[in-house]
Amino acid sequence: MSARRRLLPALLALLLLLAAAPAGAETLTVTRSRLPNGLTVLVRENATAPVVAISLMVQMGTRWETPDNAGISNLVQIMAVRGTPTRTGIQIVEQADAMGGSIEATGDVDASEIAATALSRHWAAMLELVADVALHPTMPEGILNAVRDFLLRQIRNRGDKPYDVAFDTMTARLFGRHPYAWDPIGLKESLERLDRPALLAHYRRHYVPGGMVLAVSGRVKTAEVLAQARRLFGEMPPGPVPVANPPAPPAPAPWREVRVVPGAQSQILMGALAPALTSGDYAAVKVLSAVLGGGMSGRFFSELRDKQGLAYTTGTQYPARVDTSFFLAQLGTAPENTPKAEAALREQLERIRREPVPEDELRVAKAYVLGNLAMDRRTNARQAWYLAAYEEAGVGYEFLDRYVAAVRAVTAADVRRVAQRYLAVIRTIVVQPTPP
Amino acid sequence: MTRPRLRRAAIWLVAVALVAGCAGSGRLTAPADSDLPPPVRTVMRNGMRLIVQEHRAADLVAIYLFVGVGTRHETADQLGYAHFQEHMLFKGTDKFGPGYIDRVVEGVGGKSNAVTSFDYTTFYFILPTEATATGIQLLSDMAFRSTFAPEEIAREREVIFEEARIEQDNPRSAIVRQLYGIVFAGHPYGRPVLGTRETMMAATQERLRAFNHRYYTPENMTLVVAGPVDPRVVRAMAERSFGRPNTPGFKPTPMPVPRPIPGVVRREVERPEQQAHLAMGWQAPKSDDPAGDAVDLLATILAGTESSRLARRLRDEERLVSSVTMSYSALVGGGIVSLRADLEAKDLERVEQIVLEEIARIQESGPTEEERELAVTKFESQHAFDTETSEGLAYAYGLAETTWTLEAELHYVERLRKITREQIRDAARRYLARDNYGRLAFVPRAGAGR
Repeated sequence: MSARRRLLPALLALLLLLAAAPAGAETLTVTRSRLPNGLTVLVRENATAPVVAISLMVQMGTRWETPDNAGISNLVQIMAVRGTPTRTGIQIVEQADAMGGSIEATGDVDASEIAATALSRHWAAMLELVADVALHPTMPEGILNAVRDFLLRQIRNRGDKPYDVAFDTMTARLFGRHPYAWDPIGLKESLERLDRPALLAHYRRHYVPGGMVLAVSGRVKTAEVLAQARRLFGEMPPGPVPVANPPAPPAPAPWREVRVVPGAQSQILMGALAPALTSGDYAAVKVLSAVLGGGMSGRFFSELRDKQGLAYTTGTQYPARVDTSFFLAQLGTAPENTPKAEAALREQLERIRREPVPEDELRVAKAYVLGNLAMDRRTNARQAWYLAAYEEAGVGYEFLDRYVAAVRAVTAADVRRVAQRYLAVIRTIVVQPTPP
Repeated sequence: MTRPRLRRAAIWLVAVALVAGCAGSGRLTAPADSDLPPPVRTVMRNGMRLIVQEHRAADLVAIYLFVGVGTRHETADQLGYAHFQEHMLFKGTDKFGPGYIDRVVEGVGGKSNAVTSFDYTTFYFILPTEATATGIQLLSDMAFRSTFAPEEIAREREVIFEEARIEQDNPRSAIVRQLYGIVFAGHPYGRPVLGTRETMMAATQERLRAFNHRYYTPENMTLVVAGPVDPRVVRAMAERSFGRPNTPGFKPTPMPVPRPIPGVVRREVERPEQQAHLAMGWQAPKSDDPAGDAVDLLATILAGTESSRLARRLRDEERLVSSVTMSYSALVGGGIVSLRADLEAKDLERVEQIVLEEIARIQESGPTEEERELAVTKFESQHAFDTETSEGLAYAYGLAETTWTLEAELHYVERLRKITREQIRDAARRYLARDNYGRLAFVPRAGAGR
């Protein structure tokens, strides 16, 4: 009991600190420009370290795909860094290495990215390399076959990993015919069919300047970056920006499935559809997600791991999506604990719908959400990504400032309301090493 | 596990001997091309070391407590205790209960975690700058006032068993751990960091407390604080929280010398995955051995970058692997060069043969000038990206102070620039013997695949 009394000053200090918690405050200025052909350029000068990060994003990703060409966006991206008329794939990585950096390209759900880093003294050369792979990919046939084999092996390997099997099953069930149903890597059947003409056509349809955002963050001068961007991208011909028209995900229905995959742990996932990035409920569901699975003070970690020893990793996911997103609660545990852990996880999802979140817990969850954002926004690579991704999602990079204000304004009533609205119907998948 | 970085390294025994009993403070010299003020290193009266780095990029501070205790300090019946200790320090003190640290840290928007390795254990907080004193005091409470309540021990033990299952399910981490068991057979570096079921079950409040009492003493600790802070103010905070007397009679643990690997030791393990994995390992210089500089460049040139020799040949040209990496880890009592590749089981022999061919080639004629420069650039760049955040620097400094020297870390890139192609070739001849290494393969279990 004496311990409790001694706690008091610390808690007071905590309350005072909360008023000043980092809030992703963006003190450095960002400059937004638009080239005559429609390409958006965002530059953030940050002198902290002698480095630069570049993110070039395109309106291309699973959201524009169908089951017939699932994975084509990611494949186009990987092939882009495998050769241009003046550089082989090996020369591309060699030149990036020599600049003390890297260049890689991947497809994601709502956009595809070419991401590069370098020592800042090489910023101009790195931007030239990014432009070359973005504007002149040759997609050599022989390399396409090797890359496809590599991706097919990755898909096969996903089938060997209990967590990946659980996750892929969950998204497939939640989204049905909506393209968020599959991983950006694609599906075995579609990847086997995709050929070079299909890739080139997909590339031409999506690489149009009106749908592209170039973000540069680091020790650079804005005027110099803009001049170089105009020189490199100014000649791109304008064209129509492709419109995505994905079918709606199926209506929620309770569902439970058990699958068997060899391994040492069982994976339990519970999921539901959740609001899009542009929804007025976005911030409230983010806070809800943190109350349950945020870090080590969240309920899953403190109740399921700390008090019951049922897990090493447990948490929640609620990714920012342009279309309807998903909320996921997850836990990995020893096979013999599976029934107990599943019941405990379910009880947590029911409790948050039943009872309002106490004010202290709400404050910690909000500080967690905002603190994590502030910590994540420090490196130039993440800054470039954030700038380009929100701009590409149509909400502008300033979205994050509005989001910070929205998180601060979330109340316990909001959390309960969104819990009741979005967690009413839960889908469950259990992947365990042996048949039940 | 953290990404490979500047030398993980050295002179722990010497450092403690030198600083004990003398208190002083000094600015070190910053690396020649640095934009930051040099860190301030202080040895407190009780021998505890304090390193403060001003870093004003964000209003966040990184606070790291490094303790010179890890898996290698455990006796045979204490396997897993250093790591168990790390977990238990978050489970309550005589001032506050379990979960309190997480609530305080995350309640101000910060984060915390801890890592146990062979030579050290480290605990860290990233916090808003105004919470610096709170963070330092919390670390002191955790280090000296943890209660090790029996019911918390029982619960946390289950969490660690889950951690072991996760490691087992991840072939990439499992193969590295098992490779250490081959390269350092019979040596503490060959032991499982997570312990064994038997030793973990035998861990009691009394035993964990005794372990804590023996190793968690100021003269065996380094506190690193990086952020928009004034070194004098931080020093006053550290004196308040950590200025206590030492546990009497603390003695560094003697370090056994690793036994050489007897020829080529080959092992194959059947696993449920269809993807096969290959790991190869060689004994290498320990952290205080200057010969390690050339080994770091050598491993980078062979398979430490995207355009390295082995990545080009095995991945891009012959398409036998989907990834291949090689790195050098310098521990206090010995070093290891380890190679890891993801491949198909049918290509295991061919890939091992090509690795040996490429080693023979670099032993014969050394690297090209372009390769040498590129490897140095990689380390320069790693250092530059570390300076983006306060924790990047704090971790590097604490690690260097605990297993190497801070001064050596600060000037590492400058030293690497002076290493010649001949020195790299000679390091390949001396350390990458083609008839003296450990080789471990994970292969699909017969009938695996659905």
